[in-house]
Amino acid sequence: MELKTKVHGILEYCEQDIITFDKGIPGFEEYKKFIIAPFKGNEVFKVLHSIDNEELGFILISPFEFMKEYEFELSASIIEQLKVENPEQVAVYNLITLNSDIKKITANLKAPIVVNVEKKLAHQVILSDERYLVKYPLIKEE
Amino acid sequence: MLVLKRKTGEALKIGEDIEITVVKIGDNAVKLAIDAPQGVTILRTELIKEVISENKEASEGSIELLKDLKL
Repeated sequence: MELKTKVHGILEYCEQDIITFDKGIPGFEEYKKFIIAPFKGNEVFKVLHSIDNEELGFILISPFEFMKEYEFELSASIIEQLKVENPEQVAVYNLITLNSDIKKITANLKAPIVVNVEKKLAHQVILSDERYLVKYPLIKEE
Repeated sequence: MLVLKRKTGEALKIGEDIEITVVKIGDNAVKLAIDAPQGVTILRTELIKEVISENKEASEGSIELLKDLKL
């Protein structure tokens, strides 16, 4: 199937690729169905795009691309909500906030997107860990 | 919206499982103890607002620079 998007062109996907955010994404709660597609132009990133709103898309990055020690616990309620049965089912991504200055492009480590890749369920989890920032710069000053 | 007054040491019960006790009242802040089941998420409201604001910002912007970004 083809998803026509405003910013990312046409994204190809299958019905079974659709990921459901039962609670939506904070700030955009009415949109529940998304796909994750490769970001054309840089394989480090992916696109999280709404299938119902052709203007609603986000850039994702896997935190382990830049912070191998990133870790947090999933609460019992998230495990239940996402129907997680074992850790292999879970993928974690962070939303990227863009900026015209490359040094100001940041990843949201405070609120990761947690996906059960088998059950196609996802949720944006807000962590209380103070180490993790909402605006974590991807490019470090030397 | 229910607005109540509580004195130090007094408590509120929300539903069957959540209890909030006023531990200490200071000049600018009140210390609260929250007793809730493991499954209930408790977050500072300003943190949720910050995430909403960041999400809105993240949903916009030019993707061009990302093409050259190497980590």
